[in-house]
Amino acid sequence: MIKTACITLIAYLFLTINTLKAQETNFTSIKLKSVSGKTIDFADLAASSKDTMVVVSFWATWCIPCVTELETINDELEEKQAIRPFKFIGVSIDDSRTSQRVKPFIKGKGWKFDVLMDINSELKRALNITDVPHVLILKDNKIAYRHTGYIAGEEDNLFETIKNL
Amino acid sequence: MIHFSFKKAAAIVLIANLFSNNIEAQNLNNYIKGHFNGSIENYSQYYMQDPKIGAYIPPDRYGSNTFLKLDYNYGKFSTGVQLESYLPPILGYFPVPVNNQNKIVNKYFKYTEDKFSVQIGDFYEQFGSGLIFRAYENRQIGINNAMEGINVHVDPTSFLKLKIVYGRTRKIMDYANSVSRGMDAEIDVNNLLGIKEKDKTTHVTLGGSYMSRYEEYAGPIVDFPASVSAVAARLDISSNSFTLSSEYAEKGKDPNLLNNQSFDKGKALQVNTSYTKNNFGVTATFRTLTNMNFAAERGTEFTSIAPLNFLPALTKQHDYLTSNIYVYSTQVKGEAGFQSDLFYNIKSGTKLGGKYGTKIAANFSYYNGLDDSTDIFSFGNKKYYRDANIEIKKKWNKKLETTLAFQHIFYNASVIQAVSHGEVNADMIAAGFLYKFASKKSVRVKLENLSTKDDQGSWASALTEFSVSSPYAFYASDLYNYGSTKIHYYNVGASVTKKSTRFSLGFGKQRAGLFCVGGVCRFVPASYGFTASLTTSFAN
Repeated sequence: MIKTACITLIAYLFLTINTLKAQETNFTSIKLKSVSGKTIDFADLAASSKDTMVVVSFWATWCIPCVTELETINDELEEKQAIRPFKFIGVSIDDSRTSQRVKPFIKGKGWKFDVLMDINSELKRALNITDVPHVLILKDNKIAYRHTGYIAGEEDNLFETIKNL
Repeated sequence: MIHFSFKKAAAIVLIANLFSNNIEAQNLNNYIKGHFNGSIENYSQYYMQDPKIGAYIPPDRYGSNTFLKLDYNYGKFSTGVQLESYLPPILGYFPVPVNNQNKIVNKYFKYTEDKFSVQIGDFYEQFGSGLIFRAYENRQIGINNAMEGINVHVDPTSFLKLKIVYGRTRKIMDYANSVSRGMDAEIDVNNLLGIKEKDKTTHVTLGGSYMSRYEEYAGPIVDFPASVSAVAARLDISSNSFTLSSEYAEKGKDPNLLNNQSFDKGKALQVNTSYTKNNFGVTATFRTLTNMNFAAERGTEFTSIAPLNFLPALTKQHDYLTSNIYVYSTQVKGEAGFQSDLFYNIKSGTKLGGKYGTKIAANFSYYNGLDDSTDIFSFGNKKYYRDANIEIKKKWNKKLETTLAFQHIFYNASVIQAVSHGEVNADMIAAGFLYKFASKKSVRVKLENLSTKDDQGSWASALTEFSVSSPYAFYASDLYNYGSTKIHYYNVGASVTKKSTRFSLGFGKQRAGLFCVGGVCRFVPASYGFTASLTTSFAN
């Protein structure tokens, strides 16, 4: 009985390891809802960076440097995307205290990009982001660049990096 | 003994062999399959004495909080640990004394399939808006109520999502002396009815959750509830421009230290609605609750120790030094009120909008006590808090941006802080300027005045921030009480940021009071001295 169980377990592990090799991805699957109503798996979003670079900005409605950065980026987004195509997406870490403000907030600001809702900081934690604002550039399914904090003018660095990657 | 040594030697040879054969031959990134990432965060303080502000030197002049987190993900598997070190903790970080401690506090293993996941170890989770259960971490405020046990997510059908948790809640550096278990079910009504998703479809979701805590009771009361259960039901409706979310929760008899051993049930109702259009958004949230403090141990003296649920203050979190003197914190014994926000962008190209548009944000919060602590609809006349504020932000050109803000605050200090100085009425005005004088070079100035005849009288503040040569930034601020105390709370500092690593150094004075992040507050003592912080994130 024990022998059979051991053989079954070994066979299972062997099969699992082989499956793993075939399905290896860089990021764990975390599904988040966007304010536009879509459900997006971060692993899929990262995988799409093999075709077009993806810029992800972690922010919150109560974080003034985050909002200043996103307002500046929003003003220049189309102009910069014309120079070097990239997808831009925000990830709000507002929890249930302020998450209801996110949609009216971004509509009221006239922001043109979609925002994912990371209500219990699952994605923030998985990517080891300690503070917001935090920007990631995903390229070829990997984090090609990341930056924490924002001081006016920092967006120039970001656009330069996007251009040169 | 000989047998053990042989095994040990064999293991060392094997590991050495693995490394010498593989790492030399390949680079590390190729060798490590999957995704490895982590972060380090340290915050240190050196204390000096200033009796005028009430800052005294503790037995150890240093305080240092360090967090190390490491995660590894390979396909469907992920695992990780978190080490925390308090040598000793920053003054006021924990509400109870904690000796020097250095410990792996989190460890987990997770397996994720498309419609199934299981996590063993320490995990974070939330049911609905958190009225009966939320396990989360907020390092700034010193809350980490991760649950150690098992967490399962299953989507048995396209319209049903289930979450199951079973474990014990973290209590500072240990675990609460109780076991909690719960379940959350969410039904996607559109999927249930087979309604096809289109851009303008109204989406309806129903949810229900249950949470129970068992803590042994060996006292003399015969019908004392060793098990306390809480239930919640919610409904969410959303369309392209309109949302309505509501949740009602009830908690069974839970006599504890914070509710003065009351056998009354806990109740809460929260309703939120919002409407958006191009360049316009408005939202309103109403909440009433009584006796809803739900902790993993009935003997906890503070709401920040091992909480099971999440009851943040539903008010605006301000970024102004003077506004943050009077901040609201949820009165878990009973309160009722609402807050509303309005956001409007005056379009660019119009007279008032200019080239970049003008952004307006207005907010109003209103909280009162309840007349009857058993009835959440017995809205009382006792005023707890009012906040009416408006902020106008205008970008004049690519270089200059200005902000103007006004705020009126009513703050019932005798209720919120349980102090004798009663009610505070205050008016605040603030002006901010941001000037980008060259690429990557900027200066920010913020001036504020808070005028009041109550409490310690009026305050003024000035803050300036320079970024003259990226990646360096410098700041200086002063918060001055020109009412009764005439005390300056000045701070100067600098930071350097390189990619995801940031180091900052500061010197100055911290005012004693409520320190609030994310709607959760803790009382911080006054302090004077040096602070240093380092954060970094890394990945392969």
